[in-house]
Amino acid sequence: MTKEKKLSITIDNRKVAVKPNITILQAAREHNIYIPSLCTLEPLPSYGACRLCIVEVDGLRGFPTSCTTPVDDGMVVRTDTAEIRTLRQEVLKLLLSEHPASCLFCTEHDECKDYQGTIRKVGVTTGCRYCPNDSLCELQTITEKIGLTETSYPVYYRGFPVEKSDPFYDRDYNLCILCGRCVRVCNDIRMNGTLSFKERGKQTTIGAALDRTHLDAGCEFCGACVSVCPTGALSTKVSKWYGKPDGETKTTCVYCPVGCELLLQIKNNETIDVFPNYDSTIDQGLLCVKGRFAIPEYVASPERLATPQRMTPLGYEDISWDDAIDEAAEKLSGINPEDVLIVVSPQLTNEDLFVAERFARELIGTDQIMSVLITDMREETVSFLNLASASSPFNVIDTADTILTIGFDSTYGFTPIGIKIKKAAKAGVNLTTLSVHESNLDIVSGETFQMNVTKWPALLDSIMGKMPGNGKGTKLKPLNKVVVIGAEVIFSPKRGAVFEKIVEMKDRFGWKVIVAHPYTNLMGLLAMGAFPGIKRGEIVSDGTKSTGPAVEDPLSAMDLARHRKVVYLIGEVPFENLPECDFLIYQNALSVKSTRKPDLVLPSSLFTELSGTIISAEGRILPIRKATDPYGKSMPDWQIISKISEKIKSGALKYSSISAIQTDIKKQVKSLSDVKKRLEFRKISAKTSGKGRTGKRLSDPKSSRKPWEEKYRGIALKDVVSGMLVIEERRRHE
Amino acid sequence: MNRVRNHVLISIDAGTIMAGARAVEKALTEEIVRQGLSDEITVLETGSIGATGQGVIIVVYPEGVYYGNVTVQDIPQLVEEHLLKGRLVKRLLLSELPKQHVVTKEKTGLLKEQPRIVLRNSGIIDPENIDEYIAREGYEAIGKAFSLKPEGVIEEIKKSGLIGRGGAGFPTAMKWGFAHNAPGDQKYIICNADEGEPGTFKDRLILEGDPHKLIEGMIIAGYAIGATKGFIYIRGEYSLSIERLEKAIAQARQYELLGDNILESGFSFDLSVMKGAGAYVCGEETALIESLEGKRGHPRLKPPFPAIAGLWHKPTVVNNVETLANIPEIIWRGATWYRGYGTEKCPGTKVYTIIGNVATPGIIEAEMGTTLRDIIYEYAGGIKEGKKFKCALVGGAAGAFLGPDMLDVQMDFANLKEYAAVLGSGAILVMDEDADIVDMLQSVLHFFKHESCGHCVPCRLGTAQLVKVIDRIAASKGIKEDIEKLSNISDVMRDTSFCPLGQSLCLPISSALKYFHDEVYARIPL
Repeated sequence: MTKEKKLSITIDNRKVAVKPNITILQAAREHNIYIPSLCTLEPLPSYGACRLCIVEVDGLRGFPTSCTTPVDDGMVVRTDTAEIRTLRQEVLKLLLSEHPASCLFCTEHDECKDYQGTIRKVGVTTGCRYCPNDSLCELQTITEKIGLTETSYPVYYRGFPVEKSDPFYDRDYNLCILCGRCVRVCNDIRMNGTLSFKERGKQTTIGAALDRTHLDAGCEFCGACVSVCPTGALSTKVSKWYGKPDGETKTTCVYCPVGCELLLQIKNNETIDVFPNYDSTIDQGLLCVKGRFAIPEYVASPERLATPQRMTPLGYEDISWDDAIDEAAEKLSGINPEDVLIVVSPQLTNEDLFVAERFARELIGTDQIMSVLITDMREETVSFLNLASASSPFNVIDTADTILTIGFDSTYGFTPIGIKIKKAAKAGVNLTTLSVHESNLDIVSGETFQMNVTKWPALLDSIMGKMPGNGKGTKLKPLNKVVVIGAEVIFSPKRGAVFEKIVEMKDRFGWKVIVAHPYTNLMGLLAMGAFPGIKRGEIVSDGTKSTGPAVEDPLSAMDLARHRKVVYLIGEVPFENLPECDFLIYQNALSVKSTRKPDLVLPSSLFTELSGTIISAEGRILPIRKATDPYGKSMPDWQIISKISEKIKSGALKYSSISAIQTDIKKQVKSLSDVKKRLEFRKISAKTSGKGRTGKRLSDPKSSRKPWEEKYRGIALKDVVSGMLVIEERRRHE
Repeated sequence: MNRVRNHVLISIDAGTIMAGARAVEKALTEEIVRQGLSDEITVLETGSIGATGQGVIIVVYPEGVYYGNVTVQDIPQLVEEHLLKGRLVKRLLLSELPKQHVVTKEKTGLLKEQPRIVLRNSGIIDPENIDEYIAREGYEAIGKAFSLKPEGVIEEIKKSGLIGRGGAGFPTAMKWGFAHNAPGDQKYIICNADEGEPGTFKDRLILEGDPHKLIEGMIIAGYAIGATKGFIYIRGEYSLSIERLEKAIAQARQYELLGDNILESGFSFDLSVMKGAGAYVCGEETALIESLEGKRGHPRLKPPFPAIAGLWHKPTVVNNVETLANIPEIIWRGATWYRGYGTEKCPGTKVYTIIGNVATPGIIEAEMGTTLRDIIYEYAGGIKEGKKFKCALVGGAAGAFLGPDMLDVQMDFANLKEYAAVLGSGAILVMDEDADIVDMLQSVLHFFKHESCGHCVPCRLGTAQLVKVIDRIAASKGIKEDIEKLSNISDVMRDTSFCPLGQSLCLPISSALKYFHDEVYARIPL
């Protein structure tokens, strides 16, 4: 790659070398020269509305805006002349003629700022605190930088009612300065188009067309508009009155296997809000509603378990950790491996799963590590794993020439994938959508099929029939064809036949597959061997062509109809078809309402309170970083397991830190030593066992007929996060 | 074919229709049949002849006699007296025959001649009949253009010195050259017929009176820049113009003057009419393009300019109706002929809309460089009721007020610039001594507040503040500082607004205060 030739320009008598094809504003920012601007925000397209970034350029008439004027070699720019300063002040005065400015111009402004950093009740009486954005406001910063201390216009209050009817965020357009950032992020970055300008001139305001609610207008509740708003016009319901966060932690979302980067906003040791990271190479900051809005309410839920508990005839009593560990160890030590079922959540970290796997295999001596995906996928578990482990990185969409989505909708999840598809379709890539109900991608697709799942295999046959090189023995040329499969097929009882077709598309016709499933750390679970019949590290490819494991149908191997002495749920809730047992250990973060009451409750910490890693659907090892202290007396799952192990057999599974576990993982799973490298996985195939089906056949669980819902560690998000209830209802109506 | 003794032209435009032209037309036709004259006399519809406020206008040729304010009741007398007996009906004659009504280059009586290039056919031919246009050398220029090669066409336009008539005063050939040289597999030519400048209706006259001229101009422009598709973005309220344009386009298609391989030249071109939804800002070319794409009418960032990336990001030329109507004449008669009119820097003619306190308001075509005095006193019959001239708002709402000292300035794009004034859309609103400058300014500022698109801060909120101030002054509740505020706000708007809409508001304000500061000041209570 040849290096771009730099241009030489002069800004405020400083000669600087800048990249070509950027604006004056970008050039100035690169060299730490301050030019005020309210409407510009990377990566949004330039807009030129606030007019505060005006500069003088030799040879150009008047005062061009630096956010819209591209740099040119030899350009001479002045950013801070007396005339410019006056004009900026005048424009800002006009802008503030319609923005409540009591926080900007006040005789007590300085004292207020120094001594009352947070929101205060007195404001309600004095009337100066109707904005949740105090001290976060870009308008405050700019007013200070521009040096405006008073205004010559009376402030006109537009008198719009605050819009609170939608979930997750409120809208107070009295505070809006019409910078258009929200409209641009919604249309240009999110490719969604919920927001637009309404009315004209002085009456201009922002909202959904035809005055619908955002929910009705197809809003994804990605919260991008809230993140980019420079004023208090848009604010997150749960965090709006917290004031300025005192810290930020970059971590990875654990709600799905995309692995989006999150910027957790921390105040007073609490996760109060979550911002996207537009520089992320994984998700480009394109969070979905879950990552953006469903985390603070989950981790601070009133249902959080703070202490270990034991069931007594009189109900649950709080007990000490020592007692709890003793009790668990007592039930598990020396037990016949046949009599224990260990259940792990695929939403645990690698470290949790590694310790859980060692606990099951080495300490208890059982291969029966159950996870909920086995009861979800039933007889199709192996073909599901086959597809999931062959999943391609998401950027195959960028170079695809044909995209097919099957039962996939990205309104409330997998938005980075959905937006990639929308971009591709807009650029002319051939997109076909196949679903039972309407998909949000139908609007951009070339061909749309809405039909019952039973008809899908035949349709897929015809799609495959169109492919070149269908004849036997002909060499297939490399194809850039991508198929994305989503919840509608994964959770359909008829998925088996569809999976078969997709495997055929992949193996025979070279389609790349992306599986949008909800099992966050499925790849970590498989890599750690926390799955019956799969050894630790076995499925991670080391580059050789050796074949992967052949596994027996796990559902029949597990024989869930058989009675157990102990069932140990790690990050999971009692599920349908849970074997009957004498003693149920429930280790999770939130209390659960279920008919089978746990005998022992162990409180787990959540991902905002601990460190670790997960492996995303793309095979990337992504970090989970601790942002706050554990809730109550809760502990990370690995730590609880390790403590129980210590009681059962001292020294067998003793870990006191996450780094010790990580060292062991690297030792034992060679391919995981390079964190930077994207992992490839070996193919998992079905073992045709001669024994035939063992044990009783399970009854069809009711859950397979219930619509699938978003869960984290077994708990439905809608039960914990108020806005998610609205989202789930919406999803069901569609 | 019958030899027709008389041609009776009835002017059908938006104004005359409201005055009952359709009913008069029907009565006239019936009366002629009744009198058994249908073999000798033909009734023809034509566009506006340029006069306003004169009711239904009928012109009888070959005499060239104009009748105004004709009603259905007048028809029997008119037919009997003039068409049967050959006697003028003096009662209906446009006695103070406005000078702009002379449609030929020959002087008739005392009237001042109008060199009609753009309006050559308006008010003479039937705009709904392509044959009449062709009979007047129509569509000849296309053939000539095809023989010139696109570069030759642009060269000819360049030699003619044609300047865009939309108001900004940009050389047409230069715009075409940019688009011609811009790389792109698809290019577009757009006609800006969103005539929204208050008091301007000169484009309507062309659209209603001679739609084929515009179509021919667009075909040539399309050929020159390499566009195969053209759009006429027309003001939604111009229903008659839209109807006639669509009819004209259909006729041109029928004659294979639009469509594939026009006149076997290998050049294909077609046109669509798109209606605007009533936004002044859509007269700005990039806002117009946004609107045409189905988006909100906000102006775009420049660069890139439309000639490089316009409609759907393809090279696009946006020209005003009047500009395009000049094209066929220039190509057909040559640049040298064209330069025979107008001034050195601005050759050709300009179509003006004259309204306000003049004796005969209407549309005239005059050479570039004609003085304001000539336009008011020679073409428009002077100030109404012999009153004194106070000022004229020239160039539309965003134009400048010109006082008596400017009456003898030669008006063209270049020269007016020297005097901090603009030719703009060619609207001339004349005010007599009784007119109130504050009321006038108030109406201009309200218009701008209403039409600001809301994109940028200075225009959205500046217009709102200006209205507050002028309302205060008009209600005699202003303070001394308010006058200063008017110029301060409009100066900030000039320097910082996004598009010409906000930038140009300083012109009417500063010029009004220049001439009439004392009059405004008098409205401030002591």
